[in-house]
Amino acid sequence: MTEVLPAQSDRRIALVDLLDRVLAGGVVISGDIVLSIADVDMVVISLRTLVSSVSSLMADDDVLGGER
Amino acid sequence: MSAEGVWVYAIIRAERAEDRVTGLHGVAAEPIRVVVADDLAAVVGAVGLDEFGHDALHRNFEDLDWVANTAREHDAVITAVARFGPVIPVRMATVYLDDARVRKLLEHRREDFGATLCRLSGRDELGVKVFADPKALLTQDGDQDDNTPQTGTAYLMRRRRALASREEAYQLAAVEADRIHCTLMRHAVDGKRRPPPDRSLTGKDEVTVLNGTYLVDSDAVELFRETVAALSMSTGRLSLEMTGPWPPYSFAGEPIAE
Amino acid sequence: MTGPARQRINSDPANVERGLVSLVLTLVELLRQLMERQAIRRVDQGALTDEQIERIGTTLMLLEEKMAELRDHFGLTPEDLNIDLGPLGPLLPTDPP
Repeated sequence: MTEVLPAQSDRRIALVDLLDRVLAGGVVISGDIVLSIADVDMVVISLRTLVSSVSSLMADDDVLGGER
Repeated sequence: MSAEGVWVYAIIRAERAEDRVTGLHGVAAEPIRVVVADDLAAVVGAVGLDEFGHDALHRNFEDLDWVANTAREHDAVITAVARFGPVIPVRMATVYLDDARVRKLLEHRREDFGATLCRLSGRDELGVKVFADPKALLTQDGDQDDNTPQTGTAYLMRRRRALASREEAYQLAAVEADRIHCTLMRHAVDGKRRPPPDRSLTGKDEVTVLNGTYLVDSDAVELFRETVAALSMSTGRLSLEMTGPWPPYSFAGEPIAE
Repeated sequence: MTGPARQRINSDPANVERGLVSLVLTLVELLRQLMERQAIRRVDQGALTDEQIERIGTTLMLLEEKMAELRDHFGLTPEDLNIDLGPLGPLLPTDPP
């Protein structure tokens, strides 16, 4: 088992674990008093969709017009 | 001179809030300060709208390096603040026009934030991922003899068996991953399964069969670590990786398991 | 942050041909895998006669042999035949068949 321990300034954080948490975690604040959060959410969501999409075309070859 | 906004990092209790942010700097290298309303405080920093405003954010979010650096700095502030008391991490890229609006937020959601801080108090988030090595998953393919000529039928049947056994191997791995998740849930206050990260980001060949994250009492973290180690040894074909402790990003919203 | 090594078709002439060949072979490999899965699915469904199974199986087998020959000829390993789609990951599955 490997583990990543946080030391104060020298914390080895796998980027994927970090992005997962800061982009999709944390409390969401919305409302018309917030600047740009709704639009940024959409950008963030599309970025996340891009980076976390399920692997390759071959994983679901039904998509390519096979029988279904 | 560019206009400024207020980037919000986290919500904490007002008590000794200023001490908790002393010396910290944020995503724009700005000094971190607090905005207080009653018994709550928001951990904030001033950011230029030329980099962090509406259009700029759109642009910058297309740049994975910018996102990565900003994510690290955002997390660093939250982690530093979390050393001294409960914290509600705020999702990245929450920017207010001014302090007054931040104060309104705290007033408006006072009960909800107060309850969340109680729920998260004295607890950490730990991530556990379980990987399967595709090569190790495969069962031996019996009397496979690559060099003898085969009929087309024999060839196709062999390929069919190979693909079916891979399928079966993945299903067995999934069942084992479920078992691991259930065991970990018994040692945690709360837990969630997340979709697996894309393999191009993990930089590994392995397949992620469990991407779990757990809310654990801080004084139970060691026991949790030992549990993960024991689970790691109990499974021959899967490997476990633990990350954290993290600030409780994944549990800042509504509680899932009561 | 850097991702896994990305394949690039660089402009060195000796490599350009190799790059293009690997691109073509990757696409052929994609088709081969697709056809193989289609065929297996139809076998599972009982939708093929014995004769059809023999014919399709032979075709796929010969195609796989041909692919291996072409790879060897151009000094490419099976791992070389892939296209990195960036955040979407690789085109072909990277686990063994």
